Formats: sequence, structure tokens, C-alpha cells
Amino acid sequence: MDFEEPGERAARARADLLTAIVLVALGLVIFYLSWSMPRLEPRRIHPATIPGLVPMILGLTLAFCGALLGWRAGSIEAKGGWQALGRVLVSRPAVRILALLALALFYTLVLVGWLPFWAASMLFIFTFILLFELSMTDQPADPLRSGIWALAIAVTAGWGIFFVFERIFLVRLP
Amino acid sequence: MFDGLLLLGQGIGHFLTLTSLFNVAWATLLGLVVGILPGLTATMGVALLVTLTYKMPADQAILTLMCVYLGAIYGGSRTAILLNIPGTPANAAATLDGHPLAQQGRAGLAMGLATTSSTLGTIVGIFFLAIIAPLLAEFALEFGSYEFFWLALFGVVISGQMAGSDTPLKGYIAGILGLLVAMVGMEMLHAYQRFTFGIPALGGGVDLIPAMVGAFGFAEILSSMKHRVVARVASVNDRVVPSFREIFQYWRTIIRSGVIGTFVGIIPGVGEDVGSWSSYALAKRFSKKPEEFGKGSQEGLIAAETGDNAVVSAAMIPTLTLALPGSAAAAVLIAAMLIHGIRPGPMLMTENPVFLYQVVAMLLLATLANLVFGLSLTKLLIKVLAVPRERLMAVVYVLCVVGSFAITQRMFDVYVMIVFGVVGFVLREMRYPMAPLVLGIVLGDLLDVNLRRGLMLSDGDVSPFFTRPISAILFAVVLLTILMSMPMVSRRVTGLFRRLAPQGRTS
Repeated sequence: MDFEEPGERAARARADLLTAIVLVALGLVIFYLSWSMPRLEPRRIHPATIPGLVPMILGLTLAFCGALLGWRAGSIEAKGGWQALGRVLVSRPAVRILALLALALFYTLVLVGWLPFWAASMLFIFTFILLFELSMTDQPADPLRSGIWALAIAVTAGWGIFFVFERIFLVRLP
Repeated sequence: MFDGLLLLGQGIGHFLTLTSLFNVAWATLLGLVVGILPGLTATMGVALLVTLTYKMPADQAILTLMCVYLGAIYGGSRTAILLNIPGTPANAAATLDGHPLAQQGRAGLAMGLATTSSTLGTIVGIFFLAIIAPLLAEFALEFGSYEFFWLALFGVVISGQMAGSDTPLKGYIAGILGLLVAMVGMEMLHAYQRFTFGIPALGGGVDLIPAMVGAFGFAEILSSMKHRVVARVASVNDRVVPSFREIFQYWRTIIRSGVIGTFVGIIPGVGEDVGSWSSYALAKRFSKKPEEFGKGSQEGLIAAETGDNAVVSAAMIPTLTLALPGSAAAAVLIAAMLIHGIRPGPMLMTENPVFLYQVVAMLLLATLANLVFGLSLTKLLIKVLAVPRERLMAVVYVLCVVGSFAITQRMFDVYVMIVFGVVGFVLREMRYPMAPLVLGIVLGDLLDVNLRRGLMLSDGDVSPFFTRPISAILFAVVLLTILMSMPMVSRRVTGLFRRLAPQGRTS
């Protein structure tokens, strides 16, 4: 069952082509790294048990599958596929994803460690809800209502997670 | 036989304590909520809960995780019926008839049928788990390195082929990527550190839990926040508890779907969604009223929900006896068992025979809790559906951070979670299935060590991999699976079967 639009299919075919190139390159790099991995001769191990054996096979198989994927993607008729792929990358969902990613990274890499975990989490949850209810949407919610909800959830969840994990289940938090 | 019954009785008796029943109640409710909320999957729920349970005694921790797993798979049916969105991927087939039933004003009946058939599906799966697992464990004691190598490869290959994508090639690629992730860190045969690039934290390899929390938690958050979704919940005005006749007039469908679900569950890495779709397709084929399927067929809904729940119980068969995860969530359960000092695999029945029957008891208690909550807390559970994603996903992300940090208490694992989340999201967007990736990570060590150990035992000779009887069979199955995934081969084989089939039975 496939409900996807032709434009989406064309974009995926082109994305597959790009991925195929990455996979072939990755497979070959892994093969090279495994080939040049120490074979532990001084330890007199059996040559059929060298540490690089399985990664070497996997690298080659990945490159082979990548090549097959590229061949398959290339044989799919994808008129306007590159343009469709370009549109996907600058579409509204892509912007939402990037905003979420930026917020999540800022929380994890900067806030956690700089503030106590519960405070960092409260701040993250509050900003997240406001961002997606007021800004990253075509139907913004009422700011006051949204703000009250965001505050309530942030405080409850931030404190709740701290209490449940650290106090009840004795799990250490970041 | 009687030993088995005695152990089963002990298993059930073991959990008839206040603490256990309390854990069953809250964990099942939590599982139901996880399943009901679109964007939260069973695997994600189990992966996040591992953290919360890791200071509990082993039996209680696994009981809790099992209740969340089963609760989530069942809970997703409610979303499928009322919202026309599968709560978890396992419930996609349930939307086809569940939602039309709700639109016809029979949402209560649909929920009742889904609840009862989920319970029956689990019971069919439990029945086979109790019977097959001890036999398989005994049989598996004869397996050596050669057989385990093929089993590991079979797991990744079959999962890659059946996990559902636009081409099996993507499943295989996901599987290889998973296997490659497992190659990072110290290898088990000569204690050599591979692909660590001087990063000490990579010495122990990539832990499964942070990787799973990323691939099933963070990636799911990114997927579900891509668009803004406004929930339109169908109203429930009719009775929820179905009559005996409404259910058991489809007893053939229930048994068939339970058996199909069990079969799918036994196949490594092939999850509940495949069980549900296969049961649905076969129910339609054998139905007296196939024209009603997709328009609110009660039989269709029963088949879908029996099928996916049977998978959960049956997935425990390879998980416990071979340490080959029967589904993605079962992979997390293996990790959780190892954390708690339980070693799944052929030796489990020798080292800890009670545990298998304790798992049977856990599933039984979880499904009974599902039945009770599912039929009684209708109104309350519907309220969960109205929670906007914008308000939920922020909290879930915080839980992802906690879930990946808490077990080893390293921020490195949080970074692993983020990397797996982003890569997992991109792969999902391009239709790469996640189950083979997970299976690759779990089975990578097994495959690597057994291939090289086998070669060491045979002094570099590869022939035992193809000449030992069980190895030869497993090799043939792997080869056949790969060949059948090639369009030109599968077309010819299908054509051959069509020619051989009697006239009129070609559909």
C-alpha cells in the first residue's frame, strides 16, 4: 500500500542515489580500515581469526549493497527529483526539525551541566512548548493560555522527573 | 510435562504478591498510555523504562518492562480505532476496520473487540511459548559456533527482508550498519579494540540502550514533530464489553491469527506489525465476507489485534532460548536481562529454568491487567488521546536524556543517543527499517565471534559451515531468503507456483 505522491517518490529516488554514494564510500573506507588493522602476528593468532575479518566482509557487503541501491535508484524515472528533494530540504517540516534539533542540542550540550538538571529541564520544556505552539505553526495558540500550560507542564515534569527518578527509584540524573 | 506445569504454577505463584501486583498495575497503565499516544512506541517505552527499573530486583524489573511492552502494543489499538492513527506501528492494520466501526457509532464495540482479541492473542502466544521454548532450548544445546553464526546472520537477513520498506535492500543495509556498530570497541576473541579512534569511551563499544533510546525515542520525536497534527477523536456512545457471541463466532480467525502471530514472533527481528498485517491478510482471504474488510469488519479488527499481541509472547521464544530478539522491543529486554544478571540463551533452561515460566506468568498477568483496564477505564484513556504533541514531546526528550544517561552515568551515552536519534530519523525518512539495525547491533558480537571461533576450530577450513547438518539447513534458509528478495527470482518462483496451483486458486 503506497499513498505517496509522485514528487515524493522522485525525491526519494534522488535521495537514495546520494545515500548510495555515501554507503559505497563508507563501505570502502571500512574495508580499508579493517584491511590495515593489526593482524596480531606477534601473538601468533590464527590468520583466519584476525580482528579485521568480519568488518572487512561487512565493509565490502555494504559497498556492494550501496552500489545496488544506486543502480536501482538510477533506474527509477524521477523527473524533477532533484528539485523535489531541494524543496523537501527547505520545507516547513524541515525548519521545524532543525529548530527542534537546535533546541535539543542546546539543552543537552549547554544547559545540562551548567544548570541543575531539574532547572535545565524546566527551561527546555517551557521553551519547547512555546516555540511549537506560538511560533512554528500556522495556527498559533493564545499566548497567555499557552504560556500558563507551558509553565505548568515545565514545573510539574521537571520536578516530577527529578522526584520519581532520583528520590523514588534512586537513579542518578545528569 | 508435569515438571513444566509445576514450574508454571510456581511462576504464577511467585508474582501473586502485593508488590508484584502493584508493579503490574502501574506498568500496564503506563504501557497503555505509551501505546495510546501516537509517536510513542512500545520499544521506546521499554527502552526508557529500563532506566527506571534497573535498581529493582531482576524479576520485578522484567515484569515491569513486560507489562509496559504488552500494554503499549494493546494500547495502540485504541488510537487506531478512535483517531485513525496507529498508536504504535503494530496497530496499523487495526485502523482499517477499527476506525470505520467507530465512524458507524460502534467505537465501544470496536474497543471491546480489540481488547478481548488482544488478550486471546497473547494467550495463544503464551501457550506456544510454554510448549516450544523448552524444546527449542534443549535442541539449541547442540548448536556450536557454526550454527550460531548462521543463526545470527539469519536474524539480520530475515529481519532486513521482512521489516517492510520499498526494497529489501534497505533492510539489508540497515542490518549491515547495525552489525558495523557492533564492531566498535573491544572484540571478544583477542581483546583488540576496533574503530575506537583513540576515544576511550568507545572501548566498551556502543551500548544498546542509548542507541535504542535514540533510534526509537529521539528519532520518533523528530518524526512526530515534523508536522502539526490536530487530533479528532471519535465519540464513544455504545457499550464496550462485547458479548460472548460477538467474539467467539470468529474462533477460527482468532486461532489462525494467534498461530500466525506466534510464527512471526519466533522469526528474529520481525515485529508485531508484520504479525498484524499477515493475520489481517489471511483473515480476509479465508473470510466468508471479505467485502466487509476495510469498511468496519469485526473479523478484520479481531485478526489484526490477535496477530500483533501473539507476536509479543512468541517473540520471547527466540529471545529466551537463543538470545535472538524476536522483535525490536525484545532486543531491549535482552539488554535489560543482561543488566540484571539473567543470561538468555540455550543455557537459560539449565541455569535458571524457573525464569522461562516466570516470563509466562508475567505475560499472563500483563494481559489480564490489559483486559481489566481496557474494558473499565475507557473514558480516562480517551482523555490521553487529547494531549497535544507539542506539550508531550518536550517531556519525552528529557526522559530520553535521563534514559540514556542513568545506566552507566556517562554523558557520552547521551551523545550516542543524539547521534542515533538523528541518523535514525534520516534513515527512517528514507524508509530504512529500524528493526534490522537493532538486530545488527545485538547480534554483531555473536556473528563475529562465532565465525572466527568456528574458523579457529576448523583450522581455517570453511566447510563445516556448510556440511554440518543444522548449519547446512540454516545456510540454505539464509540463501533462500536472500534469493527470494531479488525481484527476478521471486517473480519466477511465484510464477512457478501459479502454474502448479489448481485453476481458480491463483489469488
